[in-house]
Amino acid sequence: MNDLLNEVVSPEDLQKFENIYHQQLYKNDVTPKAQFEYAWCLVRSKYPVDIKKGLVLLQELFTTHEEGKRDYLFYLALGNARLKQYRQALNFLNAFLNIEPNNSQVIGLKNVIEKKMTQEGLKGIAITGGAIVALGAVVSLGISLLGAAKK
Amino acid sequence: MSTGQYNYSYIFKYIIIGDMGVGKSCLLHQFTEKKFMADCPHTIGVEFGTRIIEVAGQKIKLQIWDTAGQERFRAVTRSYYRGAAGALMVYDITRRSTYNHLSSWLTDTRTLTNPSTVIFLIGNKCDLEAQRDVTYEEAKQFADENGLMFVEASAKTGQNVEEAFLETARKIYQSIQDGRLDLNAAESGVQHKPSQPGRNTLNNDQQQNRYNKDNCAC
Repeated sequence: MNDLLNEVVSPEDLQKFENIYHQQLYKNDVTPKAQFEYAWCLVRSKYPVDIKKGLVLLQELFTTHEEGKRDYLFYLALGNARLKQYRQALNFLNAFLNIEPNNSQVIGLKNVIEKKMTQEGLKGIAITGGAIVALGAVVSLGISLLGAAKK
Repeated sequence: MSTGQYNYSYIFKYIIIGDMGVGKSCLLHQFTEKKFMADCPHTIGVEFGTRIIEVAGQKIKLQIWDTAGQERFRAVTRSYYRGAAGALMVYDITRRSTYNHLSSWLTDTRTLTNPSTVIFLIGNKCDLEAQRDVTYEEAKQFADENGLMFVEASAKTGQNVEEAFLETARKIYQSIQDGRLDLNAAESGVQHKPSQPGRNTLNNDQQQNRYNKDNCAC
């Protein structure tokens, strides 16, 4: 199960599903399927920036597309766990288990995350704080890019 | 999965594929936990399991990727086929449609794996004889025509489950011995003697940290 947190998407696959998503985005007609497939690849990227982007897409799906909610919850948890945002990951998994208490796949992932939290001690919490700072950084980077574009 | 688990000589990668509800996850669970999982929910994306087995006195770690059968996952789960040394292709003997779709699963497998990938066909739920919808003989013929290994099994009773996983490993091991499977090929699905434990993870962490730093130049 630990390998689910370490396994990395191939650049070709990421590119492939990114292209499909962008083509639909260009036509202003993104299907939940294309968005999910792209997000699923993003959260398996080795780059935290990609994972964060995947989480944003999943979050959006979660609020707009009823049918795939359990899938989105699961991958929201996985993406957060890969960013070492373990507490956030557990929140998503616990929400899932409220609906399906005996889901062994979800329980399995939860066990892995809890084990990692113990192994890494307080590190997990410290990094969660760091990630919020990093998110702030991304936002301010975006603002500064906007500023640069105006010039 | 303790930290001292590196006492095996090979890692074989497996995938489990087939229609929704044929019992792929239950077969995996029966193999890794020796238990039957009743009321198994639909798998989300992919699930993962491992078990260390022994073939010809060699310890082998099986790394098993169990793919979701639902159509909406199929595009992305295809990427898990790459580099599989063994593919367990499952249908449900009580539902003919799951058998009829085998040729499509087989095409995917042949396209996305190596010629040396061992494909094992499993007719699951053979405990439900009264509801049988596909005869043993016709499935056996399909397997023979396509050069697949074949058993009927039951994830519920455990019948033939070990056999399917172990027989696949024996066949892969045989291919290594015969030199048909090149261990150095990137996508053989077999790794010999894993390198220093934790090394990769450490590198990943370092890379991620560096990446984070780069992005903090705001």
